[in-house]
Amino acid sequence: MLEWFQENWIILAVPVAVFLAFCIVGLWARRVLYNRLDKLLIRSGWGGRETLVQTSRGPFFFWFMLLGAFAAMRFSSLPAEVQVLTEKVLTSVFIISIIWLLIILTNRLLSIYLAEIKSPKPPGKFVTTGVRVTILMLGVLILADYWGWPLTPVILLLAAAILVAVIASRDTILNIFSGFEIAAARNVKEGDFIKLSSGEEGYVTDMTWRTLTIKSPDQHTIIVPNNKVVRETVINYGRPLKRALKPFQFYTRLHLKELTGLKARKLTELVNVLKSAPDSVIYYHTHHFLEEHQFLTPEPANDFALWVDDSLDEHVLSEKLANIDTFAYYSLDALKSMIILVIEQYMADNPASRSVKGENDFHFLKSNSIVVPTRYLASDLREFVEVLRKITIDSLYYHIFESRLRLQKRSNDFSVWIRDSFGEHDLADKIDGLVPYTSTIEAMRSFIIQNIEKRIK
Amino acid sequence: MGPDRISQYNNKIEEYHAIVGKNVIDELRLLGNHLAGKRIQNINSTFSGGGVAEILGRLVPLLNQLGIDARWDVIQGDEAFFDVTKKFHNALHGSEQDIGDCDFEIFIETSRKNIDEMRLNADVYFIHDPQPVMLVSRKPELQGKWIWRCHIDVSHPNQRVWEFLNQYVCKYDAAVFSAPDFSQKLPIRQFMISPSIDPLSDKNKELSAGQIEAVLNKYGLDPAKPMIVQISRFDYLKDPVGVIEAFEMVRKGIECQLVLAGGTATDDPECAEVLGKVMERSDGNPDIKVLLIPPGSDIEINALQRAATVVLQKSLKEGFGLTISEALWKSKPVVASAVGGIPLQIINKFTGLLSYSVDGAAYALKQLLSNPDLASQLGKNGREHVKQNFLITRHLKEYLLLFVALDHESDVIYL
Repeated sequence: MLEWFQENWIILAVPVAVFLAFCIVGLWARRVLYNRLDKLLIRSGWGGRETLVQTSRGPFFFWFMLLGAFAAMRFSSLPAEVQVLTEKVLTSVFIISIIWLLIILTNRLLSIYLAEIKSPKPPGKFVTTGVRVTILMLGVLILADYWGWPLTPVILLLAAAILVAVIASRDTILNIFSGFEIAAARNVKEGDFIKLSSGEEGYVTDMTWRTLTIKSPDQHTIIVPNNKVVRETVINYGRPLKRALKPFQFYTRLHLKELTGLKARKLTELVNVLKSAPDSVIYYHTHHFLEEHQFLTPEPANDFALWVDDSLDEHVLSEKLANIDTFAYYSLDALKSMIILVIEQYMADNPASRSVKGENDFHFLKSNSIVVPTRYLASDLREFVEVLRKITIDSLYYHIFESRLRLQKRSNDFSVWIRDSFGEHDLADKIDGLVPYTSTIEAMRSFIIQNIEKRIK
Repeated sequence: MGPDRISQYNNKIEEYHAIVGKNVIDELRLLGNHLAGKRIQNINSTFSGGGVAEILGRLVPLLNQLGIDARWDVIQGDEAFFDVTKKFHNALHGSEQDIGDCDFEIFIETSRKNIDEMRLNADVYFIHDPQPVMLVSRKPELQGKWIWRCHIDVSHPNQRVWEFLNQYVCKYDAAVFSAPDFSQKLPIRQFMISPSIDPLSDKNKELSAGQIEAVLNKYGLDPAKPMIVQISRFDYLKDPVGVIEAFEMVRKGIECQLVLAGGTATDDPECAEVLGKVMERSDGNPDIKVLLIPPGSDIEINALQRAATVVLQKSLKEGFGLTISEALWKSKPVVASAVGGIPLQIINKFTGLLSYSVDGAAYALKQLLSNPDLASQLGKNGREHVKQNFLITRHLKEYLLLFVALDHESDVIYL
């Protein structure tokens, strides 16, 4: 062995020296080139400088080592076929290292740039994976071409893989393209109140390249795919309006009719029962028609007026009772006193008042109110108006009628909140001035919505 | 539990969104959340036949979908027991019945068997009609809330029968009646919950023009001629002869046709007699069609109501009269007598026209046939009225509210 080495050392020493020379040149070149490159990049102010420099330093030296190995092999006495094979291997390693560097570099640069895009937030993982796969495929194709492998099956395989991937993630791709469209158009921003024609609405709390997140007034978090946002008609009401310190909680009031078992067949009996009747009875007989027949306008009068007309034929008294302005009273007790006064005055003037015809007794009913908080909260007038469009007539009824008269607030709940939270006295007064007994509940809903819309336009 | 009966009507609560609006269903869910897990045991006398079984078959699955543990059981009884309960039923309606001590003994004996053998396990026992009324005897042992749901008019009952039943009714926590006029003065709380129609049922669902035309062709009706329709069984209380008289007055001046459609009860010889009289009275008049419709022909009845120009219900006495709501739901102008539960559905001149006589019915029919705008407006109002007050969703809501109200004495309850 030693003998062979003494005779052939020159055959080994030359390639080793060549390899080492390339390594030394590589170290020197890296130092010089990277110093200059670094200075140049610092001057340019490019944000990817550090990433580029740090990521490519190792591979740069590695390529000189490969070059050294290549040159050393040329100076060696290896058989020609071994040299050809080694060359091919070295070239392949070089290609692989380039691909590896490109993958690492693009991923790092992408993560820097994607992080800078705040809204809509880009789908980082999806983009980086896409780039990584694309470079990898290119590398495979180059290597296959280099080694002279047949490319057609490889390309077909890749095409099939791409097709499968596209089909599997077509929604995601569509959403990302839609995300590009939304970002480019700049029509929607975080904090805007938007309404889609498909019904979703609320403040935009988050935007990514795939989805848009909305906080709806009924406290739901709605995630809408960007593709849907692009397809639907979107109304953007813009930035939030002044926020109330205390949000408006919408309640609904559901009622159940309870029979009191009390009946009247003539006016004296009607008055006697009325005198001891609780508020819930007065409320029922002066208001249930508004709710049960809210589609009718003007609504028929209170039950007392209807009964004395239909069952007693006391038309004059009926008109007097129908003409009692319920809106003028702030308590049911005062309203009850007025009804009793009108009947007693009539009886004094007409002592021979009639009894009921047939079996049309007046049955005293009362209303059991069950008040339930809904999911709807409004913190500003935009949310308020959008909730108003959705709530049931029971809810409107509670906030407009029940709070005002039965619960003895001198105003409706809406006006109180608008006045106290925003100092919008004109708007509050307008809603307060609405006479709820001469229009349907739906007409009142429209009136309130129109006036608030006008104010916040 | 009557699973077959229940599954027959197993509509999904979401299917009502399109009809009453999502917000109404949301309200039901809101109430359902407050009552989640509450055990409601409905008990009546049969799983099939009659309005009570039909409405329970529809309501129980919907209650379950809202998170309520609602169940439905029936009491057991032999033929003799049900003969007695039938007599009681008629007696409560005010008709003369031959009821002796032995009838009460049969009722008590069968009820005791049910009291001993029936598995009762609930938070609320919802007892329907008089047949199972005695089950309340187990209230001290079982506790829970007990409701007696009276589906019939007991305003003018046979006193002996009512006094017998009343001793049990008074032990309940609450009673429920369909209309104020149907109730009795009781020492317990009484609620008013009207019955309802199901807009998704065969009798009320939307039909295509082709389906309606097929029914008209089947019965040889002229679709081009204005049509007055009364749907009811052939019974003196539905006054079919009065209907023909009113029609003849109208027909003198207005080109139209009359359809009297209904069935006969096989166990009621009076029906055949009435049908015979109607056939005799209408004989020779080509504009009057008397149609004997077999039971279960809900789609045909639906089609006839939808094909009608005016729907008539000239009853002399009526229960709640849900055929009115069925017609109003189809936006049909209705002329009806002011009896039973009809005035709750027909607000005179707002959702239809009320009449008190043959002349009144004829006059109202003429008004509607010669004023299509008025007829259309009444029909429109009528549909809205039913939508808000007589659909199954309102019924469901009021049952839920009833379960809530049982636990509270106050007039205003905050949940």
